[in-house]
Parts: sequence; C-alpha cells; structure tokens
Amino acid sequence: MFDKAKARVDARREARQVPPPLDPEQAAKEAHERDKGLTKHHFEPHEHPCVRIEHLMKTFDGETQVLTDVNLTVWPGEVVCVLGPSGSGKSTMLRCINLLETPTAGHILIEDKEITGHLPTKEVNKLRQNLGMVFQSFNLFPNLTAKGNVMIGQTKVLKKSKEEAEAEALKQLDAVGLGDRADFKPAQLSGGQQQRVAIARAVAMHPDILLFDEPTSALDPELVRGVLDVMRDLAENGGMTMIVVTHEMGFAREVADRVVFMEGGVVVEQGTPEQVFDNPQHNRTAEFLGSIG
Amino acid sequence: MKRICKRILSVLLVACALVLAGSLVAAPAQALTTEKATARPNEDGGSGVIGGIPTRLTWEGVVEPGEQIASVTLMLPDTGKFDDSTTKVTVLDGLNRTPIEGKTNIAANVLGVELSEPAKEGYKLRLEIEDTVFPPEGGDVVVNGTYTTADGSTKDLAPSKPISTISNTWVQQVVTWLDQQPWVQAWNSNQFLGMFLKPQLIVTSLFSLFPGWLVCLGIVIVAYPFAILLGLVFALMKLSKFRVLRAIAVVYINVLRGTPLFLQIYIMFFGLPMMHINIDNNVLGVIVMAINSSAYLAEIFRAGIESIPVGQYEAAASLGMGRLMTMVHIILPQTVRRVIPTVTSDFIMAFKDTSLLSSVGVMELMMFAKNLTSVSGNMTPYVTAAIFYLIVTLPLIKVVSTIEKRIARSERGAGPRPKAKAANDEQVDEETPAQENGATPEASLASALSAPFKAGTSVFGGVADVR
Repeated sequence: MFDKAKARVDARREARQVPPPLDPEQAAKEAHERDKGLTKHHFEPHEHPCVRIEHLMKTFDGETQVLTDVNLTVWPGEVVCVLGPSGSGKSTMLRCINLLETPTAGHILIEDKEITGHLPTKEVNKLRQNLGMVFQSFNLFPNLTAKGNVMIGQTKVLKKSKEEAEAEALKQLDAVGLGDRADFKPAQLSGGQQQRVAIARAVAMHPDILLFDEPTSALDPELVRGVLDVMRDLAENGGMTMIVVTHEMGFAREVADRVVFMEGGVVVEQGTPEQVFDNPQHNRTAEFLGSIG
Repeated sequence: MKRICKRILSVLLVACALVLAGSLVAAPAQALTTEKATARPNEDGGSGVIGGIPTRLTWEGVVEPGEQIASVTLMLPDTGKFDDSTTKVTVLDGLNRTPIEGKTNIAANVLGVELSEPAKEGYKLRLEIEDTVFPPEGGDVVVNGTYTTADGSTKDLAPSKPISTISNTWVQQVVTWLDQQPWVQAWNSNQFLGMFLKPQLIVTSLFSLFPGWLVCLGIVIVAYPFAILLGLVFALMKLSKFRVLRAIAVVYINVLRGTPLFLQIYIMFFGLPMMHINIDNNVLGVIVMAINSSAYLAEIFRAGIESIPVGQYEAAASLGMGRLMTMVHIILPQTVRRVIPTVTSDFIMAFKDTSLLSSVGVMELMMFAKNLTSVSGNMTPYVTAAIFYLIVTLPLIKVVSTIEKRIARSERGAGPRPKAKAANDEQVDEETPAQENGATPEASLASALSAPFKAGTSVFGGVADVR
C-alpha cells in the first residue's frame, strides 16, 4: 500500500519536471526540421502540426508505467501508422489524444491548443467531436440500426435535423459499401461490416483527425481487407489526417506517410515506410519487423 | 352570513315541526306493537338474507295493556311470497306458553293468523314462518300488516324495522342450482374436495373476491411507475461520482432490502397515524409498495447499467456526447432491454406482496378471502384467491421466459432481419418479414421495450461479410 502511494507521489514529482509546452512557432520550426525526411507527406513551410505530443507520460495506478516519454508530431492530412509489440503503449497514446485516458504528465496539443491539464467537460466534448475514433471492438450501439449509429452523433451532438443526419448517414454508409445494410442492427452484421459502420459513424461527424485503435485486430482474416480498403480510400481520397495503430504491415507500407515504431512507452524509430521497413535503424525495430514477417 | 344563519334556523325549525308531527301521527295507541321482525340468513357461507330463496321469517308483537287481539295479518312487499309457507304460532304469557292456537290463511304476499281465542294484555305473539320468500330484487324489506282486536276493529300494524336482503343474482341462482346437483353433493362429501374446492363457494367467492383482486392490481399498477422512477433515481445516485449521493442511495437501498416488507408496512400504517398523518389505506398501500419495490429496482437498474460494456461509454464519448446524453440515449435504452425480465419478476413479487397489506386492513384479495373463509369455515375462498393471483402471475412468468429467449437470440445475432435494399443480396432471407419499426433509427424507449416482443423467423448461424 505504501509502495503504491510512494509511486504515486514519485509520478507526480516527475510530472512536475516535464518542461512546459513549446511556443507554437518554435515547436513548428523544430517539427519542420525533424520531420522533413521522415514522412512522405508534403507540408508547407508555414504549416503547424495539428497534433503535438511532448514528453507524454502515463502511469496506471501510479505503478505501471505505460508511456515513458512520447514525442510525436502529426501534420494535417498526414497518415501515421503506429506499430509496435503489444504493451508498447500504442493504444494508450492514441487514447490519450482524445482524453479517454488522462495523461499523467506531458503535453498534447491539438492545433496548438493544449488539451492536457484540467480541461472543462464541455471543452473535452468539443475536442472529441473533432477527433473521430474507431475502436478495436467496434463499440457500435447495439440498440440502434447501422443508420441510427451513424445518425446519433449528428442529431444529438451536432444538433442536425433528422433528415439531414439521415442523408449524411446513408451517404457515409454507401461510402463504406453498406448502403443496403442501413436498417440492420449491429448484431446482424459481420465483424467487418460492423467495423465499417463504426468508421462511417466516426467520419459522419466530419472530424479533422481520425484515430484508429487496431481496427482490424478483432476481425477474421478474410474480413480485414474490406475494412482496410475503406481506410485506404479515406486516406487517399478523403485527405483525412489519420493516426492508425495497427499490426497490418502491408497497409502501413502502402498507405502510411510515416511509420512510427513504439516500444516500452517511447517512440523508438520513425520514418517513411521505406525507411522503417527496408532499412530500420534500431535493432528492436528490425527484430519486430522480422518476427512479424 | 346572517342570512345563512337565518336560513339554517328556519330549515331546522321546519324539520323539528315535521318530526313532531310525524311522531304524533304514528303515536296513536297501538293495541299490538311490533317487537321484532327478522329473517334467518340463507346465504351459502354468508350471513346475508337473499331474496327469492325461501327462508324463515320470525315476527313478534306484544299486546298492549287493556287490549285483546283476535287476529294478525302480515304483509310483505308485492314481490314477496308466503305461498309455500308453514307457520308456527306461539303465544307467550311472560315465559309460559299459552294454549292459544293459530289458524293461518295465505294469499300471495299476505299471511293472516286467526287466534283460537284472543291474546290478552302483555301476551307476546310469535310467528315463525318457514319458507318465506323475500322479494328477489333485494333491498330493505319492511313487514307491514294489520290486526283485529277482540271487539272487531281492525288497525294497521306499525311497520317493522327493515330487514336488509340481498338481491337474488344469477350467481345466487347458479349456487342454488349447484346445491341441488347430485354430483355436487357427491363432490362435497369428499372431505378434501368439499373443504378446498367446494363448487358453490368457488362460484360465490369468484365474485366476492373480485373487488379485492382489483384493489391488488390497482395498488401494484399505480405503485410500479413510481417505483421504477424512484428506483432509477437511486440507481443513478448509487453510480454517481459524488460520495454523499452514493451514501444516501446505499443506505436507502440496503435498509429497505434488509428489512421485511411486513415490518415496513407496520411502521408506515401504524407510525404515520401516531404522527397525526392520516392517509387513505389504499394510498398508503401504494406508497409502501412503491418505496419497497424502488429499492429492489434500484439494484436491478444499477446492475443493468453496470453490465453495459465500458466500450459503449467510450464510443459515445468519442462522438463528443456528454455524460447525461450518453446515459439517456445510449446506456439506458440498452439497460431497459436487459432488465425487462428481472423487472417483470420483481413486478410479480410486488403483486404477490400486496397480500401483506391485508394485515393492516387494506381491503385487498387476501382480506376478502380471509373474511369469507372465517364466515364459511371453508378453505375454498383461499384456493379461489390463489386462482386470482395466478391469473396475473402465470402469464407474466411466461412473458419473462419468452423475453429472455428473445434477448439471448438477438444477442447471438439471430433475430429477424430487415429486408436489404439490394436485390442481388442473397444473405437476406427473402421470407423474412420486414420489421415494422426496424426502419426508424431512433433510440426510443418504446422501440427498445418492444424489441423483444417482435415476432420474426429466426435465422441461425452467423452472417458472412459481403464484399
């Protein structure tokens, strides 16, 4: 018990030691320098990154340190694939970005606005509207039809009219190839179909950034492709900013602008898919990629 | 104000005058005063006098000082009958029987008795008329009549005190008919059948217990919506992040679930009047039942809400929905479906528990059955009460198991499917009827509630992904 308390105190002490977030201009300048060769995405010299993660740290119960020191910038329109062995903190980092987990220390800035620290509930809800999330286990609302799932955020949160929301829902369901399943309940859909509905649900809110938390891990192999096709379409034709935590190497290689390899709560290596897959700089990256195959 | 007083005063005066006048008119010295007019109960298992069915009428009159009575005539209302009556005439001198005999002559609703010699002063005249039939329509029956004194003058008798009778309903006629059936007599001669399943009593108690059954149903149906509302409030309080709210909810739920309903009933029914709070018994019954059920429902709802996977909250949060919005639109509709079977079971319990209210004088089913049993000395009314309880509980038990099956099936994904719009889609069974409400996507409570009841053919097995 005392150990736990002590760990918690230590965590807080460490939290205090994290330097304050950088000034936007300076941060942008540093990010430009750092990311120039690491991504296939083209960003303008005057552009600021839309997500900035600085010294992000997360401990559970003051004991289990999942994220030690994560630093990452994501540019508008960039597709970032996060790879790494399980337990490396990929999902936790993603969940920190839309505050499903509260960071223990460090800073996350969305469009140069800090979201870490004490953010009022209203602000949090507003932030989350702007960050679409797709979960590993779909998390569709089983009491609603596919269409209802896509509509509910629009009608309740964005306060759109029913007709408007319905039209948007059908459009998005069509886009993921499920226009004919609009009236099906989630339980009547296959896993792949459910995940595509979940993507439609997230996209229908017109977020600036889409977060994918291992979207294909819970799927049977033959259902994976449909979901990945939808994601590829979003990346290539939608121009959406996407952070994808995944084990799909093929997808990462083909679609990602940048691949980030995480392990032990830190970003071990990042770069363009070619750099990371073909010429990994770190042993651990090479080992991991080798074992995956 | 003054005028009203005057008005009241004048009304009072008039009333007094009328009463005085009436007593003066009725007062003229009677030679024979009516002492008593009663009828023997002829209700099976009851204490009522039923019209239309033979019974015994007992009439007594006393001869006043200085008078002698030669004959008496009794008269029932027009629809009463003395036709088959046999009359026993007794003339008493103090406590001794006198040898005076009576000769009766009958004409429909009039029965005359001629005494063999005049009854002297102080004599009491008693007529026991067997097989008297009171008017079948029931109501208060007054026995009128005349008498003749020894000197030949005839005067009206003072009307008797009214005998209240029950109308002879078709139920009564059924019972009378049953009484005469040999198979009923054979049935009743079996000790068990006669004690627990006496046909006549089943028929009568079905009717006399019915209002009690309505009271039971009424109490629980009125109480339950309140119980659901209260239960939901306490469930949400127990799940609240505020320690004080949680503590209040925990105390409320645990105290009410940890003490017998019987005790709670006693405390409320005897405690409140002592604090000079007097509430109608039925209303108080509703309150007690609602409070008691709310504690159980709170636990059911809490468990239901907690059984919703955390991913649902996260998904709602990721859409930017607030806590309340998530609760109302996402969590509660799902909870409703999950708790319907448990809530129905609790409803069954609450319905049965209304029987405890009989102990404090609420006129419900059990109370009626108890009264009828103590009057008839037969267990049949209890068995009938059991039938009444089962009329409600058995269908509900069936409903619970049906819903449970439906929910289990729909969670496997094998529920009815709406028709897909694409014509080339062979995944959808063409025979499957389109769900009436399947097309509306709202998370309405009504559709959540009705979902388990919707009929449809089941499609077993999974659904393959369509690419």
